[in-house]
Amino acid sequence: MKYMLMIYDNPGTREAFFGEEGKVLMAEMDALMQELTESGELIGGEALADPSNTKTVRVRDGVLAITDGPFAEAKEHFGGYLIVECERPERATEIAARWPNAKLCAMEVRPIMERSGGEL
Amino acid sequence: MRAEARAEDLLRRLAPQALGALARRYGHFDMCEDAVQEALLEAAIQWPVQGIPERPQGWLITVASRRLTDQFRSEQARRRREATVAALAPPEACFAPSPGEDAPPDQDDTLTVLFLCCHPALSPASQIALTLRAVGGLTTAEIARAFLVPEGTMAQRISRAKGRIRASGLPFSLPPEPERADRLRVVLHTLYLIFNEGYTATTGPDLQRGELTGEAIRLARTVHQLLPDDGEVAGLLALLLLTDARRAARTSADGALIPLADQDRARWNQASIREGVALLSRTLTCAPLGPYQVQAAIAAVHDEAARAEETDWPQILALYQLLERLSPSPIVTLNRAVAVAMARGPQAGLDLLATLDTEGQLAGNHRLDAVRAHLLELAGDYAAARNRYRAAARRTTSLPERRYLESRAARLASADE
Repeated sequence: MKYMLMIYDNPGTREAFFGEEGKVLMAEMDALMQELTESGELIGGEALADPSNTKTVRVRDGVLAITDGPFAEAKEHFGGYLIVECERPERATEIAARWPNAKLCAMEVRPIMERSGGEL
Repeated sequence: MRAEARAEDLLRRLAPQALGALARRYGHFDMCEDAVQEALLEAAIQWPVQGIPERPQGWLITVASRRLTDQFRSEQARRRREATVAALAPPEACFAPSPGEDAPPDQDDTLTVLFLCCHPALSPASQIALTLRAVGGLTTAEIARAFLVPEGTMAQRISRAKGRIRASGLPFSLPPEPERADRLRVVLHTLYLIFNEGYTATTGPDLQRGELTGEAIRLARTVHQLLPDDGEVAGLLALLLLTDARRAARTSADGALIPLADQDRARWNQASIREGVALLSRTLTCAPLGPYQVQAAIAAVHDEAARAEETDWPQILALYQLLERLSPSPIVTLNRAVAVAMARGPQAGLDLLATLDTEGQLAGNHRLDAVRAHLLELAGDYAAARNRYRAAARRTTSLPERRYLESRAARLASADE
């Protein structure tokens, strides 16, 4: 089963990563990435730019509206993701628990929909 | 195209034999596997153009041996650069086989290779990947496409699996007799998983995945030829044939799932059904009974009903009872509940589901909700059925299943009004 591990940030996580403890956190992240690569569980992942770079796009009654933001007023924002393939759901939550953001902010583990369907 | 297809068939049959010959001669299963892949690639390019060599097996072994020699040399050179002991390679004399040595080996090593690829120390994902490459002769890119993962991820799974085999120091030989039955079970399960990956694929981008069913059947056929007296090997092959027979009818053109009862049975593959039934009948008379044979028998009863209403549900129910004794699991009980409902009425099925609920092993599984919804619908309780269909739709992680379950719920909603 493939899972998206959604990485949540808050204003504090940035300070943590670039502060005194930053090196330790980065090393934890690197070690986990290497483990997932070597095990063949890592499918992909990206980090997102700061939320201030976001454009929100809406079409209402055929009219397009593009606005900047949302800005950092939100307490938590979606900061990036990993996609992993695991034998068991417990393994996906275990990986999420080891990503530094789990202790700094939060991680969400969501199964990715399959395009296969079982016997009915 | 014809020449290409013929060369490819031959290559994929010879691949595990060439690998066996090399591993037997040189050891280093992991390096031999790489060398055979390279030889297969060369053959895939050359043979369709230049014709198939007179002794294709010898050709493959010779070319793979050369590639292996190159690998040993570069490995040695690397080790020398690192100033470590180069104890890896066998004596130089082994590197260039004399022409007489090219003769195909007397022994078919396919089974040994298969046992090694399905070693219980490997994860199921690695067993599948390595089996498809080393026994199936597929490339890493093909396997990656079939399993919808990046090629790098699949390459990593294969190299990790080979690393495990190397580290375990397993000899290139069949597992010792006392372990053989358990190890064979793992092999059969791996083939079953490969089949299922292809069978459950719907349409569109997943079409290539469908080829996995053909590959699983081909491999099961090979094992059956090598172990003709094993009832469970024959049972698995029969199960795959009898299930695959329905594949074309199980999805609509737009990829929507069609349940067994609604399938156009004229689209079922009668040749596969005949072969599966004949194989199963032969097996049931002479081999000890096992779960694959019983599952094949259930598939055969479905396949032999010309119309859904003609399905012999009492017989299917008896077979599920047998299966539950041989290999109990909540999923088997769930399937038995459907058979109970069809044979004795929906309420009897719902009563059996209630016992499953209290055990709680299936709690949260969408299939429990889906079956309950179906039985409630049969019982005429449409409001409750609709809620269960919706609950199942929320819980499934399959897009086609969600679409099907939502449509059942929507149909009941409009029937209700």
